[in-house]
Amino acid sequence: MTDTDDILRVNDLSTRFFTEQGQVNAVDELELRIERGEVFGIVGESGSGKSVTARSVIDLIDAPGEITDGEIWFDDAELAETVREDSPDAVDGSFVDLLSVSPAVRQSLRGTSFSMIFQDPESSFNPSLTVGEQLAEAVEVQRRASANPRSTKAKTDSAEYSFGNLLLSTVLPSQQFVTEESRERAIELLELVGIPDPVERAGEYPHEYSGGMLQRAMIAQALAGEPDVLIADEPTTALDVTIQAQILDLLDDLQTETGMTILLITHNLGVVARMCDRVGVMYAGEIVERGTLEDVFDDHVHPYTEGLLGSIPELEGANGQLEPIGGNVPSLLDHEMEDRCHFADRCPMAMEDCLDHPPEFDATGSEAHTVRCVLATRSYTERDALPPNYFGDEERPAGDKHAEPDRSDGEQPAERTQTTISDAGGESR
Amino acid sequence: MSSDDNRATSSADAGLVTGIGTDTPDGEPLVRVENLKKYFWENDSLLDRLLGDEPVAVQAVDGVSFEIHEGETLGLVGESGCGKSTTGETLLRLQEPTDGRVEFGGTNVYEMAGSDLTAFRRDAQVVFQDPFSSLDPRMTIGDIVQQPLDIHDVGADEERRERVRDLLERVGLSVNQLDRYPHEFSGGQRQRIGIARALALEPEFLVLDEPTSALDVSVQAQVLNLLEDLQAEFDLTYLLISHDLSVIRHICDRVAVMYLGEIVEIGPVEELFGDPKHPYTKALLESVPRATTDERERDRETLAGDVPSPRDPPSGCRFRTRCPAVIPPEELDIDQETYRELMTVRERIESRDISLETVGGDDQFTVEDGSIPEADVPSFVAALKHRLFDDPLPPHHDEMCLRIESTAVNRV
Repeated sequence: MTDTDDILRVNDLSTRFFTEQGQVNAVDELELRIERGEVFGIVGESGSGKSVTARSVIDLIDAPGEITDGEIWFDDAELAETVREDSPDAVDGSFVDLLSVSPAVRQSLRGTSFSMIFQDPESSFNPSLTVGEQLAEAVEVQRRASANPRSTKAKTDSAEYSFGNLLLSTVLPSQQFVTEESRERAIELLELVGIPDPVERAGEYPHEYSGGMLQRAMIAQALAGEPDVLIADEPTTALDVTIQAQILDLLDDLQTETGMTILLITHNLGVVARMCDRVGVMYAGEIVERGTLEDVFDDHVHPYTEGLLGSIPELEGANGQLEPIGGNVPSLLDHEMEDRCHFADRCPMAMEDCLDHPPEFDATGSEAHTVRCVLATRSYTERDALPPNYFGDEERPAGDKHAEPDRSDGEQPAERTQTTISDAGGESR
Repeated sequence: MSSDDNRATSSADAGLVTGIGTDTPDGEPLVRVENLKKYFWENDSLLDRLLGDEPVAVQAVDGVSFEIHEGETLGLVGESGCGKSTTGETLLRLQEPTDGRVEFGGTNVYEMAGSDLTAFRRDAQVVFQDPFSSLDPRMTIGDIVQQPLDIHDVGADEERRERVRDLLERVGLSVNQLDRYPHEFSGGQRQRIGIARALALEPEFLVLDEPTSALDVSVQAQVLNLLEDLQAEFDLTYLLISHDLSVIRHICDRVAVMYLGEIVEIGPVEELFGDPKHPYTKALLESVPRATTDERERDRETLAGDVPSPRDPPSGCRFRTRCPAVIPPEELDIDQETYRELMTVRERIESRDISLETVGGDDQFTVEDGSIPEADVPSFVAALKHRLFDDPLPPHHDEMCLRIESTAVNRV
């Protein structure tokens, strides 16, 4: 299933949001390698930057957000040829740096090379168009994009959405997005994702679909351009478990069939275990531990990974006290982030070494296993442990100290930063 | 009904609140629900009646019965729309029931009035799902937690404030956060405030309506631990409503599984999870992805289709439309899997999922008023089968299929 070649190499990606409260480092110098044909999972809590990472890759970051630094190398020989003459710096072999090419090229990749499915199917469809029309439109846009080969001189697609064009389309059939062929293709797509009786279903409006069916329709829409990379942002979070199982099966089948690469964003470790070949655990804008599924689930080093796994109640087997991670996801405001391990204040094994920001260390297990924690190089000793109140009041507003006597951690209002991110289109719940 | 507070509480303010108490003898359940029904009516406005539209009942809860004993946690689990939250709200009399009876400490909740009802309101409390919309954004958290005490006129001013401080500390918040507003807190902290508010009147019974589904896993674990500690400390009885089977497994003593307004299976947690009897329970358990590396190899059978609408639930067993183990009628000599497939086809034809117009080649059959000429039935069915089944059915099934399908087709 997997060749050992990368389709996507993300280097030093930083995405920041410039808000009234200050600069939010949603994604901070992130490195990512995704192999062709694999399913790569990014898992983390809300506010850890996983959705922003996905949106940065597909270039859906809106103001006040901005990709401030980094390179996203995408392997596409054909694209490399067309881009080479205009911006030779952006090409390296068959790889193209998506952050150095023109916005028009970037946009032309959306749908044909990268595609995305969103968390909430109900709010992702236009309620006033039938599902068939919306799919047909996607198909037609992709068809025109491929009929009009990528060129930096090509006019941007947005011109085709102008008001003038809308008027034109009422008289000129050639300007319409919903044509006979595109409608047929839309029906094929609906059939592909297992919508029963696609011919009739295509003529229905989104509210006539159930949640699971709409999510299928959204997957169909994402597949319209036969993308190389499918980004699935919490694709099953809004669904019931039995429907979730159906959707995961569907994604699995489609992946095997088409060999596409999937970047799966989720907070659900069970979904990761079900779907992914490799996993990255995100915390405070960084991947703190990555590796194969076995590395991360069975052989993990980072206390955060340990804490996440320990927080899930077991479905099979022993009941016992859960071992949660104290506190909350930290603030990502630049002026509140210190140059240390960002997890140190919640970490049960924080040591003096943790006051320096750790690089990525190789860890035991597979070659891909790396971890951003000093515990990969040394073991925990009481002697070097930080005193329990080390990250005490001075960093936090006084009132936010966790008052429970047996816990020494501090909770703080992380919501403010999370809200900013969600305003900017991150987590949408 | 004694007016004394005869519960053992370890709270410093024992006696501050007086509830109706429960002097039920041992073995009597604290809450008994009998045949509870709650229908919501659509097309029920005056205009609809003038236009002659028949009201349509949404059978949210349709005859559930269960008991909750003192000190135990009953879990209510099911998919969205199965009526679990409505059950919780109706049994607290936050919704008036359509039919049925709920006894709390031996008294019928729906017949309570006056001081009895006030006492019931004190003794039975609720924690809501969404900590963002269930707290008044314009009240400080001190006021929020104190409000129940004010409404029920418990104790003097100073006592109330003291109680609020105790409660906040007990749920893991700090006393000097009293004057802050809900927006200054994170989701987990807000859920703690909701819990403190529910505990203010020293209730005996708490309905927890998806208390952790809006929270991240690590915070969810904190809140679950808190709920367990509080139950041990204050002798609370819980009804935990959740769609998350692992949460249910973790904190419940007994579980009731709901599907389309009915309880399909109820039993002790170990038994129900270890040896589920109902095919729906089995399918539900199999659908949950486990966070282990064996997950990809795990054998799982996923349910096909969606939950039918509660406006028009299936006749007979409500699960029959999705049940993998549906039993063929005796007079049919047909194996179970084939029968399941046939039932699915029938379901799809009846629900007009399959457009009969497109069966066969172009204009091979004429469909008028949803039916076809008698003479065409066999060839029509053959064409339909050709389209729907990947493998041809064994020949000896043909006649039966024909029978089942032509009835279905003609009914449409």
